[in-house]
Amino acid sequence: MLEEFAFGFPILSLLLFLPLLGALSLWLLDDEDLIKNAALAVSALELVLAIIVLLRFVPDSAAMQFSERLRWIPPLGISYHLAVDGISVLFVGLTALLTTLIVVHSCDTVRQQIKLYFMTLLALETTIIGIFVSIDLILFFVFWELMLIPSYFLIKLWGGGVERQYAALKYVLYTLLGSVFMLVGIALLNLNYHDWAVTHHIEPSYSFDFLELLTVPIPRDQQILIFWLIFAGLAFKAPIVPFHTWLPDVLLEGPIGMAVVLAGIKLGTYGFIRFSLPLLPDASKSEGVVTIMATLALIAIVYGAIVALIQPDFRRLLAFSSISHLGFVVLGLFALNFQGLQGSLLTMINLGFSTAGLFFMAGFLYVRRHNTHLSAFGGLARQVPLLATFLLIIGLASIGLPGTNGFVGEFLILLGAFKAHWVYGAVAVTGVILGAAYFLWYYERAMFGPLAQGLGQAMADLHARELFIAVSLSIMIFWIGLYPAPFLRIMNGSVQALVQRLDHGSAGAVQATRLISRE
Amino acid sequence: MTFNLTLSGADLLLLVPEMLLTVWLCVVLIVDFAMPRLPKEHLAYLSVGGLGGVLACLLWFDLAGISGSLFAHMFVVDGLALFFKIFVVGATILVILASVDYVRRFRFFKGEYYFLVLMSALGMMFMASANDLLSVFITLEFSTFGFYVLVAYLRDDAASNEAGLKFFILGVFAAAILAYGISLVYGETGKLVFQDIAAASYTPGLVIGFLLIFAALGFKIGAVPFHSWIPDTYHGAPTPVTAFLSIAPKGAAFAILIRMFFVSLVAFKPAWVLLLVGASILSMTYGNIVAIAQRNMKRLLAYSGIAQIGNILIGLAAGTKMGGDAILFYLLTYLFANLGAFAIVIAVGNLIRSDEIEDYSGLNRRSPFLAFAMLVFLLSLAGVPPLAGFIGKLYIFVAAIKEGLYTLIIVGLINIVISMYYYLVIVKKMYINEPTDPSPLSISGPMKAVVYVGLAGTLILGIYPQPFIDWVVAATLMFSNVVDSTASMRPTVPPFGG
Repeated sequence: MLEEFAFGFPILSLLLFLPLLGALSLWLLDDEDLIKNAALAVSALELVLAIIVLLRFVPDSAAMQFSERLRWIPPLGISYHLAVDGISVLFVGLTALLTTLIVVHSCDTVRQQIKLYFMTLLALETTIIGIFVSIDLILFFVFWELMLIPSYFLIKLWGGGVERQYAALKYVLYTLLGSVFMLVGIALLNLNYHDWAVTHHIEPSYSFDFLELLTVPIPRDQQILIFWLIFAGLAFKAPIVPFHTWLPDVLLEGPIGMAVVLAGIKLGTYGFIRFSLPLLPDASKSEGVVTIMATLALIAIVYGAIVALIQPDFRRLLAFSSISHLGFVVLGLFALNFQGLQGSLLTMINLGFSTAGLFFMAGFLYVRRHNTHLSAFGGLARQVPLLATFLLIIGLASIGLPGTNGFVGEFLILLGAFKAHWVYGAVAVTGVILGAAYFLWYYERAMFGPLAQGLGQAMADLHARELFIAVSLSIMIFWIGLYPAPFLRIMNGSVQALVQRLDHGSAGAVQATRLISRE
Repeated sequence: MTFNLTLSGADLLLLVPEMLLTVWLCVVLIVDFAMPRLPKEHLAYLSVGGLGGVLACLLWFDLAGISGSLFAHMFVVDGLALFFKIFVVGATILVILASVDYVRRFRFFKGEYYFLVLMSALGMMFMASANDLLSVFITLEFSTFGFYVLVAYLRDDAASNEAGLKFFILGVFAAAILAYGISLVYGETGKLVFQDIAAASYTPGLVIGFLLIFAALGFKIGAVPFHSWIPDTYHGAPTPVTAFLSIAPKGAAFAILIRMFFVSLVAFKPAWVLLLVGASILSMTYGNIVAIAQRNMKRLLAYSGIAQIGNILIGLAAGTKMGGDAILFYLLTYLFANLGAFAIVIAVGNLIRSDEIEDYSGLNRRSPFLAFAMLVFLLSLAGVPPLAGFIGKLYIFVAAIKEGLYTLIIVGLINIVISMYYYLVIVKKMYINEPTDPSPLSISGPMKAVVYVGLAGTLILGIYPQPFIDWVVAATLMFSNVVDSTASMRPTVPPFGG
């Protein structure tokens, strides 16, 4: 049945626009319960579609799969080209899963303007899926920018903090500032292609298509320029230290759903592995770039962990721990070997379960105490044993305990980092230790010890919906932790091709791209 | 120089749209006098009907590829002229529809309002065809003439009078500069037609002459440093007139600028690229930074308009056919987004008698449709994908990057971020703040039509721009040999017509 369903069927377009159509149809509904159920149905259907894509995906292959291509604006070489490969397909599933869980969580916690909330959330899902399935760089950029609009409204209208206005504006303006430079980088790629196409009489003479851009060699100097331009866009979104200042504000002031999306779905680093590394292989492996990127990554790892150590607010702690984890991802990417890249990619997915999971936990605590500050907690393990247990499970996954998913990813990254240079590995290991320290120390203060003063009233333990969220995340954590093979197999082909591409460089492009391009 | 002023019947065909409009504006005036009891709205619909006919005629010209020149090449009909005529007539139709409610506010001369709008439109149609410095002067003054009256139309309103006076004095000043510039160029070369001037060699007088002409046209489009009339005039003028002023004359003036730079001055490209880069950077930066501090919607749109003109100048600075295409496309996106935004300012102004940004608080609660439409228009102006403004900006930037204008691009991109700030401030007011008076707002039929057209244009140009890009590419076909900077310094003179 799946065969005939997926053959020639534009499943990625459906996946892309289903949440948007769902959002529009919510407009017609008035009853609150109906709206909640409809939003849940749409997100669940989206998840089912994403799972179908994952099941139909041919693993161990570097090919772009489920490709759909239409000419959109031919004079500028912009096309509507959707496809997934081993790098992007897991993110599609992750996005669908997290959105479903956010909808489940929001059913109890969002009180005002419910219709608008779910519409915005589903619109946000479309833009994020769009980022992952776009193969055309302009299409990618469209969704990249478009994502800001629903995010802005989500933070502003449903954020819990008093400073949410400021946080929303800061987020949008910072990201926009980065993306405009990225747009220049993308345009330069296009013009480089144009020059090549004109001299070699290739049609079309303009293109923003990733696969077509891959076939064209780019001079090394220009690659480095383009790399840094695109870096500006990705670094703000990721965020890489020192472009991270918006993250703690948004995660603290915004709603939990937004925090889950921003902390769990690593758009910025996805951009590196999807576009920067394959399109600009010579720049990516040049000594200057690798040194700067690895240094930034190490600074992020250590700085994030140290700052997290002293945070009394759980969500701020998570924000800095997220920055620290992102440092690992970047380090893995710029180790530029198979283990590093694979570990990075897996860690990006893992963070979608562990960091995002911790934000859900923060959300559960917030619902109970209207605060995530340490002063509101203490001795919770006795009151809410289930919550405390799941918090520990997800927290241990985030610090990379063997048996959980975090271990597999971080281990691969450290392996790759040691292979690249022993200093990278050595510094990164201190991050692992600090990570264990900040989480366990906070956990101990919040969950054990004396009950918080003046907050003696009983706290309810997890109810069914919350339990559902916690259990589904825990299942994923243990699945990847104990049996990561299916996930690694999905990535292998594409990561292998990427490593080859990095070895050959852009000049040896033609041969290397054969591997990546077309199915 | 001798003029061949004999006209054949086939030549007259080229003038049909203008003649049609001339007849029609007389009809409107006569109907107004002859039937004093007729409700004045009907005059609006009568004008729109006539303009519709003109538009149909222009579209037919464009599709049939009719082109040619008249009066010793003073007046040309080609793809570019037809594009800008369609642009002007389209803008005029929307402005008249958006004026219907507003005109009820006037105490006198309600009928003459439509006559004056049509007259200005006629002037701007001629501007689009002007191919010689004399016709540039005549058509420019002709089109501005109607605006002098329209800006000061609120006779009892001090701000409107002040606006009119400022506009008039500075406008006349610009006209004098233009005339002076033209006389210098003619004195140096003995030529007036753009194509003939292209053969002229460099002399200081020619340079000064063209600088003066550029200053006068810069006044018309409101580029820094010739922008000083814009804020007060936009603020004081009746809002539909502001809307008209903010779009139609800009388009028509760009028709002249494109012809002047791409045809007459193509040999001096390295020099004027610097001039335009400077004007563009100043306009974008000044417009956006000052816009942040505005408390009044019309003033904010005035300054954001200055910044948008700076963006369009990027395309002119690129100085290639692609740059020309990008200008045309950008103007189209600007037409829909800007007129749409002004339509909402007019609608809200009619209902609550205020243009202060503060009074837009909670617009979403009072009228979700108006708030949503305003959101779309502002985001398009800011250049957020997938709206029209994004494709327009992308087109312009790609054209400029191709010419290596990196400084300009970086400044332009940073300006996008600055502009996003003040657009978002309005969005925040509309969606987050509580309204002082929560009563719902409803708008009239013609107004709704304008907003719908604006929305449709903004979305279609963003999502499916292909046919429009084909159109602008075809419209500038005669500049296809105005090639990139790597080519020879003096390309062949483009032929007349299409």
